[in-house]
Amino acid sequence: MSSKSLGVVEPTFRLRSQKQRVIHTFLRNRTAILGLILTAIILLIAFFADNWFVALPQGKEPTPLLAHYNPLLQDTRNRLSPPDEDHLMGLDSYGRDIWSRIVYGARVSLLVGVSSVAIGGTLGLIMGLLAGYLGGLVENTLMRVVDILMAFPSLIMGLMVLAVLGSGLFNMILAIGIVLSPTFARVAHSATLSVKANEFVEAARAIGASRMRIMRVHLLPNILGEMVVLASIWIATAIRVEANLSFIGLGVSPPTPAWGSMIRDGTSHLFDAPWESLYPGLAILITVLAFNLLGDGLRDILDPRLQR
Amino acid sequence: MKRFVIIATLLATVLILGACAQPTPEVVEKEVIVTQIVKETVIVEGTPQVVEKKVEVTKIIKEVVTATPVPKEPVVLRYADKAADLGTMDPHFAAATNDRNLVDMIFNALVRYKPGDGTQFEPDLAEEIPEPVIVDGKQVWTFNLRRGVMCHPSEQVPAYELTADDVVFSLKKSANPDTSAYAGDYNGMTVEKVDDYTVKITMEQPISPVLFLPKVADYAGGFIICQKPYEAMGAEEFKTHPVGTGPFMFDSYSPQEKVVLKANDNYFRGRPLLDAVEYRFMPELNSRELGLRSGELDVINGAAEGQWVRRMNQEDGIRVDVYGVGEVATIHFNLTVPPLDDVRVRKAIAYALDRDEFLALFGEPVAANVYSAVPAQFLPGGLTKKEVDELGLEYPLDLDKAKALLAEAGYPDGFSLEVVSSERESYLKNYQSMQAQLAKVGIDIKINTVDHSSMHKLIRQDVNPIVIYVAWRPNADVYLTRFYHSDSIVVTGAKPDTNFSHYTGIDDLIEQARVELDPDKQIELWKQAQIKLLEDMVSYPLQYQNQVTARRDYVDYGHELKSVLALYPQITENTRIVK
Amino acid sequence: MLKYLATRLALTIPTFLAVLTLVFFVVRVIPGDPATAALGDYASQEAVEALRERMGLNEPLYMQYFQFLGDLARGDLGKSMITGKEISGMVKQVLPYTLELTLSAIIVGALLGIPIGIHTARNSNTLVDYIGRITSLAGLSVPAFYLGILVMLLFAIKLKWFPAVGGGDLSDWKSNLSHLALPSLTLGLIMTASVTRLTRSAMLNVLNEDFIRTARAKGLSERVVVFRHALRAALVPIVSIIGIWAANLIADSVLTETVFARPGLGKMLVGAIMQRDYTALQSVMVIYTGFVVIINLLTDLVYSLVDPRITH
Repeated sequence: MSSKSLGVVEPTFRLRSQKQRVIHTFLRNRTAILGLILTAIILLIAFFADNWFVALPQGKEPTPLLAHYNPLLQDTRNRLSPPDEDHLMGLDSYGRDIWSRIVYGARVSLLVGVSSVAIGGTLGLIMGLLAGYLGGLVENTLMRVVDILMAFPSLIMGLMVLAVLGSGLFNMILAIGIVLSPTFARVAHSATLSVKANEFVEAARAIGASRMRIMRVHLLPNILGEMVVLASIWIATAIRVEANLSFIGLGVSPPTPAWGSMIRDGTSHLFDAPWESLYPGLAILITVLAFNLLGDGLRDILDPRLQR
Repeated sequence: MKRFVIIATLLATVLILGACAQPTPEVVEKEVIVTQIVKETVIVEGTPQVVEKKVEVTKIIKEVVTATPVPKEPVVLRYADKAADLGTMDPHFAAATNDRNLVDMIFNALVRYKPGDGTQFEPDLAEEIPEPVIVDGKQVWTFNLRRGVMCHPSEQVPAYELTADDVVFSLKKSANPDTSAYAGDYNGMTVEKVDDYTVKITMEQPISPVLFLPKVADYAGGFIICQKPYEAMGAEEFKTHPVGTGPFMFDSYSPQEKVVLKANDNYFRGRPLLDAVEYRFMPELNSRELGLRSGELDVINGAAEGQWVRRMNQEDGIRVDVYGVGEVATIHFNLTVPPLDDVRVRKAIAYALDRDEFLALFGEPVAANVYSAVPAQFLPGGLTKKEVDELGLEYPLDLDKAKALLAEAGYPDGFSLEVVSSERESYLKNYQSMQAQLAKVGIDIKINTVDHSSMHKLIRQDVNPIVIYVAWRPNADVYLTRFYHSDSIVVTGAKPDTNFSHYTGIDDLIEQARVELDPDKQIELWKQAQIKLLEDMVSYPLQYQNQVTARRDYVDYGHELKSVLALYPQITENTRIVK
Repeated sequence: MLKYLATRLALTIPTFLAVLTLVFFVVRVIPGDPATAALGDYASQEAVEALRERMGLNEPLYMQYFQFLGDLARGDLGKSMITGKEISGMVKQVLPYTLELTLSAIIVGALLGIPIGIHTARNSNTLVDYIGRITSLAGLSVPAFYLGILVMLLFAIKLKWFPAVGGGDLSDWKSNLSHLALPSLTLGLIMTASVTRLTRSAMLNVLNEDFIRTARAKGLSERVVVFRHALRAALVPIVSIIGIWAANLIADSVLTETVFARPGLGKMLVGAIMQRDYTALQSVMVIYTGFVVIINLLTDLVYSLVDPRITH
């Protein structure tokens, strides 16, 4: 085989093999598949909640597939009833069907969980990567901004966003995103520092690769694994923080269900009606499980070392 | 792996060691006869004299026996309240429930509400409740003070006998807006010292006892503080070092944790049976409950929830008390905002609402329905269910009537409103129930939850077309004046207060009732005012929410619990632990 | 190194200024004020107005701002607007509780999290790994509040090993430690979850590196390979997540403090917000920002200690 033909064949061969390997790595990972399926189901429920799965608040009453009760309907005389065949997960303190509220509440909770982590993760990743690689003045400035952001606990950050931008779901997502960003920034920063010290980065610089390219091709893939793991960890926190922020008026208002707020409401009847907070807690657990299994699978794919 | 095991073992050892650190002493119960010196004022040939009496009281004391003898354990009552921290113990500023509880144990007043029964007055620092006399058109109340009442010792000033000087000083402090939150209650009142044991109070405008006595009773501005220590330490310091004459005196304060009060050995009704009260700040209901169940606490503030009351009553060794006074929740309509400016719309709302729906959210026996602005269960001047029913002003649930009225007013499809609510359950439950009920007649209410402080500020800026307010006020006059007199209209009133409805229709009735000296006629005027409120559907009274406290069954408050203005079971010199 | 430290310390001043300025203005923008919060809803309007005047809330905003910065520069944290107590005194009473809880939680979290993380990484995709991962995920999903109650039910009500509530007496180490056990276990377990996850991921990265293969090829024992070589290289992100936890625990352990009825800085912070105690909030933020700055500096210094390739 001539070297010329090799030169033509190799790239296509490598490309196909890489794609195949990625898919292969993922498919071989049974837990990742489970994560993918679970995530897909949860997203599906959230996305189509009001058309398919729940009898809806106003007017629209299609035959719901999952929950037979309107999540807002109050049956006060039977409030805090334990789970039975009729109400799979019991009734909350207003006599509302908890199962319906969990199905319907998936929308807000997933939206908050995923998008605030996406915002915080992206923001933190950019800050940490730039600071870690560029160093000097950029590092000092960015990491001190991170210090400032880190000094604000979620409640104060929520109040700040509320004072400046007003209430609303998007503002709440933004507030949680900002609260999470320092965590990502600091981990990204430390990981970048570590990876930067490797020979291959030196080598890339030596052959004249641009800073942008080094960050994109050499640093980013190497720290992305940790970022994905962090993101899948922090989704649970984000879903729960929602409760603390809706209570100061940022985000969704009652009676719209959201898992975090449901747990919060349930805590005042913890011993009288444990189901009120237990089931939304389980919903968060399953979601986090799904995202984490998926995240681990992604981590394996993203990790360039595993492909070597 | 090995390391992991080692570390895990180490951790377990630390945990177990920590557990063992608690001594497990033997507990022996002993009956001890304690001699108490009780000071009593006895009238001998017309002149009051202080007599010291020795009284023998049997106390059952828990003694802890360990290998080395331990000094006798003081009898301490551990009370956990739902507050997060102390506000102030200056009684003339104390507004939060926990602050009111504490000052109730530390201070006295000229007269007091009978312990456990807020409907009756009895003498406290005064020897008796005087009859007023009219002098030059003004009303004069002369109080004779008890002898031998001692102010608690403090760092700056040793114990000394309370005299008319302290009483005059204290009441003047209450009347000054710089030194009291309740100055408004003392307009038109002059306080003078006649001699060391006599105080004369003159009212510009004569008023009935029902309205006068609360001003000098053990609630808000009526508490008597000791002048010398207050002046010695200054107003700021006094907030956390209160000095009064009550059964318990201030010992220590640990932020966010507790206030410790110790027994006042010289209390004029006799030394308290408890040695100390530990007042803990525990905002979390579940941890209060677990603390009570584990025996670390003796009395806790419970949940305003029928189910909780029933379950806790079944716990071994735990008793729940449900008692007044109940804070009243009322829906106020802003009469100046369309479409609520139309009386038909307000009546439609009233017919669309069902009190029992709201009530179910609290559950028996925690709450009960209220039918007029003033709660008839606790205060003279309120209207009962029977009375409003006979007048046709009960507004029972009637959705058809509600829809018809809405259509008549031009809103056949309903309308939308936006309100803010406090995050607290007593508010949020009512707002959410109202939201769900009114949705049935097409009225769409958007609730914005805010924190409690923000809500209070915002509703006073008139942002809510509908305000639900939960409050206790000491008498009918205060209820009606604060919520319905035109002077009290939010933002624009002469003295902006809590007239959220901008109502002006009963000013004359409120003012007439205030100066009416005949109690029956006064009550009649108050009732008329409230009938007018219902006719105009200015506000829709919902329910009162009782106080719920749970205790270990060995705690005996020393009185029956019917209603307490200070919103706690009241811990007095007679409260004891019977083990 | 010294130059680095000097720069970092110099940069703390703008950090503090930024945090304090933001907090100062934001708490004054949100509705409600300390006078209304302190006097309650029964107080007359004139009493509220009088108190506002005495609190200095009627002064122009910039005057209040410079007054605050001036006092701070002199080291004066001021007095609480609600109780009138010196804030420095309140902080001194509360801080030991916060520090002991943070420290012990980190010890529990690191001592459990790092070994479990290493173990699951070395046995990735085996039963041990699945169990480790799922339990740590459960830890992530359980609110501190919930776990706290469960821990109390087990250890305080059922087994009666530890007291359920209260901070304990600081001067009596026995009482203090027994009250510390359950809250630090609660926070520690929650922290364990994220440390485990991150350790696992970082270890997986490192275990596939060339130098580990080289080390193995050299015939070094597995223990030396894992603990000397791999762990050391994986430690940087682990250290950074522990640093983040340390900072978060100081201010954000409110729920745990509340459940166990312990005093703490986090509770003080939330209380100050709810009561609109401006001075207390500002002062707590000063102290908290100080902790964040110090913890982050220390973490950054530890990086170069564990990974000598990182230089400052």
